[in-house]
Amino acid sequence: MLLLGAAVVAVIGGFPVVAGTDSYILLLLGKFLCYAIFALSIDLIWGFTGILSLGQAVYFGIGAYFVALSLKINYALDHPTRYGNKFPDFMEWNGLKALPHFMEPLVSTPFAVACALIVPTALAFIFGVITFKRHIYGVYCAVITLAESLILQEFIIEYQAYTGGFNGITDYSNYLGIPFLWFMLAVTIAFFLIARVLTHSRIGTVLKSIRDNDLRAQFMGYNVANYRIFVFCVSAFMSAAAGAMYAAWVGIISYLDTGPVFSVEGVIWTAVGGRATLIGPFLGAFLVKGLEFLLSGVLAAFWQLLVGLLFIFVVLVMPDGIVGSIAHWLRRHRKGTLTQLREEQDLLAHDREHDWQPAGVPRSGEESV
Amino acid sequence: MTQALISQILIGVSVTAILVISAIGLAVIFGVAGVINMAHGQFIMVGAYTAAVIGKMGGNTFVAIPVSFVVVALLGLAVERGVIRWIYDRPLETLLATWGVGIILEVVMKLIFGPELYYVGAPKVLAGSVHLVGRLPYPYYRLFLIVVAILMVAATFYLIFRTDFGLKVRAVRRNRAMSGCLGIDTAKIDMMIFMFGSGLAGIAGAVLAPIKSVSTTMGFRYAVDSYMTIVLGGVGNLWGVPTGGGLIGEGETLLAYKFNSVIGELLVFIFIVIAIRVFPRGIFGYQERR
Amino acid sequence: MALLEVKGLTTRVSGYTILDNLDFSVEENELRVLLGPNGAGKTTLIAMITGQFRPTAGKIHFAGQDITGWSPDAIFLAGISRKFQVPNMYETLSVYDNVMVSLQSDRKVFKYMFKGVTAAEDERIWEILDFVELAGKASDPADTLAHGERQWLEMGMLIASNPKLLLLDEPTTGMTPDGKQRTAALIQKIARNHTVLLVEHDMHLVRQIARKVTVLHQGQVLAEGALDEVVSNKTVREVYLGKGKRH
Repeated sequence: MLLLGAAVVAVIGGFPVVAGTDSYILLLLGKFLCYAIFALSIDLIWGFTGILSLGQAVYFGIGAYFVALSLKINYALDHPTRYGNKFPDFMEWNGLKALPHFMEPLVSTPFAVACALIVPTALAFIFGVITFKRHIYGVYCAVITLAESLILQEFIIEYQAYTGGFNGITDYSNYLGIPFLWFMLAVTIAFFLIARVLTHSRIGTVLKSIRDNDLRAQFMGYNVANYRIFVFCVSAFMSAAAGAMYAAWVGIISYLDTGPVFSVEGVIWTAVGGRATLIGPFLGAFLVKGLEFLLSGVLAAFWQLLVGLLFIFVVLVMPDGIVGSIAHWLRRHRKGTLTQLREEQDLLAHDREHDWQPAGVPRSGEESV
Repeated sequence: MTQALISQILIGVSVTAILVISAIGLAVIFGVAGVINMAHGQFIMVGAYTAAVIGKMGGNTFVAIPVSFVVVALLGLAVERGVIRWIYDRPLETLLATWGVGIILEVVMKLIFGPELYYVGAPKVLAGSVHLVGRLPYPYYRLFLIVVAILMVAATFYLIFRTDFGLKVRAVRRNRAMSGCLGIDTAKIDMMIFMFGSGLAGIAGAVLAPIKSVSTTMGFRYAVDSYMTIVLGGVGNLWGVPTGGGLIGEGETLLAYKFNSVIGELLVFIFIVIAIRVFPRGIFGYQERR
Repeated sequence: MALLEVKGLTTRVSGYTILDNLDFSVEENELRVLLGPNGAGKTTLIAMITGQFRPTAGKIHFAGQDITGWSPDAIFLAGISRKFQVPNMYETLSVYDNVMVSLQSDRKVFKYMFKGVTAAEDERIWEILDFVELAGKASDPADTLAHGERQWLEMGMLIASNPKLLLLDEPTTGMTPDGKQRTAALIQKIARNHTVLLVEHDMHLVRQIARKVTVLHQGQVLAEGALDEVVSNKTVREVYLGKGKRH
């Protein structure tokens, strides 16, 4: 397993060195890493703790917008707009005369990155305190998070002078290149390890027990709400980090990156790969997004149809996802061969006693028909 | 000022009516059958396209209502038999599967009808408007929507509380295993109630088509609003739909008048979250006995 | 002072009085059996003690603390573990993990975070698994266990949490006579070094293990004392055992 992981890391990390940096695949690779972290963050809350959030893109989006705004403001300082103003062009189009005061701190990119990570986590904390403390979860949580991300989307569109509105934020210097890819790879590995420690330590067992039976966990002395809030914040932090890196890497960010459709997409990557596994979200994100890249060019309309069918297929036929199904199969297979072995041995022992040939094997000298 | 306020409240009433119309089908499916149908918005959309086709063929909204009911009820039947019946006991996964159904419906409708918008006119009888307060015109069609909302709620109440079928539905809801033992075909009841709820979504599409251009993506917003209405009003109690719809409709309209529509939505959302904190099962949900 | 003391406990739900000014106490190291016809309020009493519902009036004291209105997790930390009527556990976790999660330890999120299972804890888990005879199935998911095994696993989970008081709500429902026998023996074994409050219907079983019983009827204590004493009580015979019915 470790070897396989090292191989994957080596392939991703070594790719741009071999293939050069201007390849479209390089852009995709970095994007996919962000998507994978996003899916991992959903897996932590949904797969391991049983909270289905349809608004995880809110945290991804806020992280992305902070970074994109900061980069855009800095870009504008060196690249004046058509009328010579040194502030983002979309603000000028919307009639602003100067950079709004409340955005001035974002000139400092480290500050913006800190905001990109802290604000979503704090928001998740507030949200968690409000909902989980009153035992609102399950369907209610799904519906509320869905509405939350829809409203954020409308907010961004409405206040386009500050957010770029429909067009999003584009035209700023992004960090597309080998060093940043390696940085993202390192972050991905770090998050993977954090998730690994989190889910395989005792707290992971507690989270799973809350997922399985929150009532029992509560009557066993666990403050279920606190555990949910904690894991929700960790998940929001990961989403936000993924969003921040995404904005820096891709160089374009729009309201779609905070919307419910993107959130649900993340859920389905996790489901396809295998929820409650750590490799599942990575596999799911790379596979589904990779397929989309391969197929959407040829079959633009049919790709969406395929996605729809994928949702139904995963739920009805493969609820454990790819990794989960393989694990099941392996376990059954191993058990199967074990019992088979034991049976065969029994049979052999029996045969030896009675000096018979094993069943199914023709006796020597006899023709098998 | 008062006049403006009153006219805003009246607009709020019609917004409420729209919410009730779009949410009542969902309330039946979610509250009674316990299914999370994320394709509800797309069901409304299919109902609206049906109305558009009827309109092209020369029919008006009154013709479209029964046709849309039947068309979307049959669609509901197909979805229930094909997808939902396998996963009744897994609500969150039903949510994902029906999300997939929604995507498929959008793609299929786009393939059939193309990307352009369709416009459906209101019936001639309902054209024009009335002056209820001051100079603000109040379209007849909005009054019609209020009537439709009341009728849909009344019909649903009648079906659930005054018919044999409704009795069975309530029995299944209370105690599924026992109802099965008493000879009620619970699977059939689930199927029927899903069809009925889908049909109501079809009617919603038919009557909402004239107030909004018909497009394949029109439904999603209705679905989210419907869910918020039900979550606020309380799952499993039909009174929750008008109550939740009223609070959201009036709240959003008045706040949009005071600030703007996005702020209004945000404030109403915050209100809903706080309300759920106070009534974890919705305003009417507390009557549910466990 | 009694370990658990319930004073004037009253519960009304939509007009019905389920518990009516109930006084009740359990001494330390006691094995108390709670009897009563259906609807007498036995499970409600347990739900009140464990904080699942709030009483309308009255106080619950446990080990010198007033625990009325505490949340279930706080009451658990005070030392009360509850076994549900229907086996209630973590279905996809292994038998071992079910017990591990239940071990007595600090329940705070951050203290728990990266702690592994210590050797002493591991030993304790195996000890408990041996005690409830599930050591052979330690790595099986809980949902693959048979009904009786699930009841036993849940009792093992309770023991793991090392409570001051165990509430066992009908732990033998749905068991075969043989299973009931063995469960009775297990409960007696548990009661050797724990305080146990047992709700049980099966009189045969009660006879076998009961030292002191309390009979609830319509939300009040009808009788209390040694089993034979209570069983020969006339009112108890009338309301619970059925008039003239031989037992």
